[in-house]
Amino acid sequence: MKIKKILAAAIAGVMLMGVCACGSTKSDSESVAIKKGDAAKQAILVVSFGTSYNDTREKTIGAIEKKIEASFPDYDVKRAFTSQTIIDKLKERDNEEIDNVTEAMDHLISDGYGTVIVQPTHVMNGEEYDQMISMCKPYEDKFVSLKFGKPMLSSTKYYETVINAVAAETEAMKQADTAVVFVGHGTEHYANSTYAALAYRFNAMGYKNTFVGTVEAFPDMDDVKAKLKDSGVKKVVLLPFMIVAGDHATNDICGEEEGSWYTELKKEGYEVIPIKKGLGEYAGLQDMFASHVQDAIDSSEEVAE
Amino acid sequence: MKLQYIKRLLSFVLGVIITVGVSGCGSNNHQPNNAVINFTDDDGNIVAMNAPAERIISLYSAHTENIYSLGAGDKLIGNYHTAIYPPEASKLDMFDYAADPEKIIAANPDVVLVRPFITRKTPDNIKALKKAGITVISLYPDTFDSFDDYINKLAKVCGKEDTAKELLEKFHAELLEISEQTEDISDKQKVFFETTETNIRTTTDDSMAGRAIGTAGGENIAKTAKQSESGSSIAEFGAEKVLMNADNIDVYISQRGAMNSGGSLESIAERDGFDVIKAVKNKRVYTINEKLISSPTFRYVKGVREIERFLYPEIADNLQEYKTDEIATKKDFADIIVKSQHMPIYVPSSSKYYDSEQKGHTFGMFEDVKWTEESFDNIETAVNSGSVEWEKVDGKEYYYPENAVTREELAKAVFILGDFKSADNTMTIGDIADCENKRIIETLVSNGVFTLTNGRFEPKKEVTKNEVIAALSGV
Repeated sequence: MKIKKILAAAIAGVMLMGVCACGSTKSDSESVAIKKGDAAKQAILVVSFGTSYNDTREKTIGAIEKKIEASFPDYDVKRAFTSQTIIDKLKERDNEEIDNVTEAMDHLISDGYGTVIVQPTHVMNGEEYDQMISMCKPYEDKFVSLKFGKPMLSSTKYYETVINAVAAETEAMKQADTAVVFVGHGTEHYANSTYAALAYRFNAMGYKNTFVGTVEAFPDMDDVKAKLKDSGVKKVVLLPFMIVAGDHATNDICGEEEGSWYTELKKEGYEVIPIKKGLGEYAGLQDMFASHVQDAIDSSEEVAE
Repeated sequence: MKLQYIKRLLSFVLGVIITVGVSGCGSNNHQPNNAVINFTDDDGNIVAMNAPAERIISLYSAHTENIYSLGAGDKLIGNYHTAIYPPEASKLDMFDYAADPEKIIAANPDVVLVRPFITRKTPDNIKALKKAGITVISLYPDTFDSFDDYINKLAKVCGKEDTAKELLEKFHAELLEISEQTEDISDKQKVFFETTETNIRTTTDDSMAGRAIGTAGGENIAKTAKQSESGSSIAEFGAEKVLMNADNIDVYISQRGAMNSGGSLESIAERDGFDVIKAVKNKRVYTINEKLISSPTFRYVKGVREIERFLYPEIADNLQEYKTDEIATKKDFADIIVKSQHMPIYVPSSSKYYDSEQKGHTFGMFEDVKWTEESFDNIETAVNSGSVEWEKVDGKEYYYPENAVTREELAKAVFILGDFKSADNTMTIGDIADCENKRIIETLVSNGVFTLTNGRFEPKKEVTKNEVIAALSGV
């Protein structure tokens, strides 16, 4: 009796394994023939960290998207954010639905897009960028073509463009008696060296009194204070070096509170002029993101580096 | 361990006997006579204890705060994980009502304090605690009028009934004092109080916050708004009705906190059509931390005073009592800064505040300014603004409230709080070498904000309260 049962179980097991094996082979062969959407149906997915500050969002992320839209009339421009906290907040507060990267990819597939360019609005190839790429990777073979535009400071050649773009709208960079301090986010990611490289480039391009600091990493506030002291200036213009002038810009950089860049530089006796302007507001940088989309379209690479 | 187990078993058996005894009488309202402490809690359960609790875990931030106010903080062995006031509460072991109740049981409390919201949300956890022989007491005053009763019950649990009586008398006297300050004003300031950004909800009229508006001398334009659900202090209103009252709203107050947050100053101003609201046009939009105004604690008086400051700054921030030629202490300095600049008092808003290291001073950590002192809020607020000095010695923070304020300290505050152009041609200051903040002093002297005596700034000279007021009035 008992032996019979064991035998029956073993047979059932073997049969099941057989079925599974067949099943998996079948699904593999199916995936080769997966429907990839219409190559002529083209979209540009603009991926940003996001912000819950409505006015600055439209002035920065919204403005970049509009620029891209105007530059590529044959493409539909879609929006995605990487911060789920911000997505949830906007849904709860404003009843505004914004896709995360995975949802955006799923929507592109279900809407039949075959050609997709993903353009991040990230400052550098840092953690946010890496995460975005890893979220898109599983979708690589779901489109006829899936390409990625580059972040703002992803290679040396872009530094000059960025510096020219901010200089065009920052009069104080040309004034000898005024220092300009750009404050970025800062990251533990190895891409943090971008900030020091940028500072070096400002100097090399003749902007001797333009300095770069970060909220959370190197160069920090003390590093910038030392540079300011050496420069001998009395007046400092303080600007965020972030796509959006959101929470950090409002509190940690321009906030009137102990520990903020504004207050701590005032304590040193400088006349401090805080300007809450995100990088996304500079026309030259909006153009730059559009040109990165063009580079992606022209590139033969189908996946990110 | 074994003894504890027997004790707990015994108390459980006793509890059962008492309950059975009570039920046996055929009336749930009948309270046992033999218990020293007996009352019905807000879940309708009879609480019967023979002695005040000695090992309390509080799973609601207001209970924690009130127990400290009652002077029974030493009986707390555990706190709800998001409760950060008073500052020492953040050092207690943290518990979560939604987590496995075994952690609470293992801490061996004799009483666990909850509120009806928690009983509704996690009934199984509450059952598990009771089954382990722990007395679970559920309290929450959902209107202003039930606050005293709530405090008295809490005081019974921790054996502080006399302190409760004193505190409640003081509490009501202070509220009366505030309302008397504005009672003769005929043209009352009209207020809209936002509790949630979603659907622009307000507060019910009989809630703590609703009452605060009237006590502070304001008129709530949404007085008749109906509660969104039974037992809630949130009331429906909506953007449309707010805009219908656009010309009437003198002051717009948004309550901010962890739950049901109202909008920020930026988000309110940028909403569609909100720019026509009188308060938005006149820059009279303020935010207030929910812990000050909607939480049933003694800090509520501070919240009401804050609202009075928003509505009638000329009355609430009156500097008359400081107008003397006495030397100003650093305590006076903080008062004058906060009042003259109409700074809202600073309260950390994140429940994770103490989890990370602060860039400057950590709220509540001055060795010489405790949260129980009257000067606490203004000192914390002035320090948070970065305009006053403090010191860290061997890892401990000091404000030195009784020290005199020097000219250099005053100059620094004036410079940080104001906007001054850097001086092109600096004047010669004889004793500039004695000044620590050379650039600040040069700028202020060149701008005519400070004058020199015989060509000297005299940075170490002490200043009077009148001098502090005069220097800050131009900021």
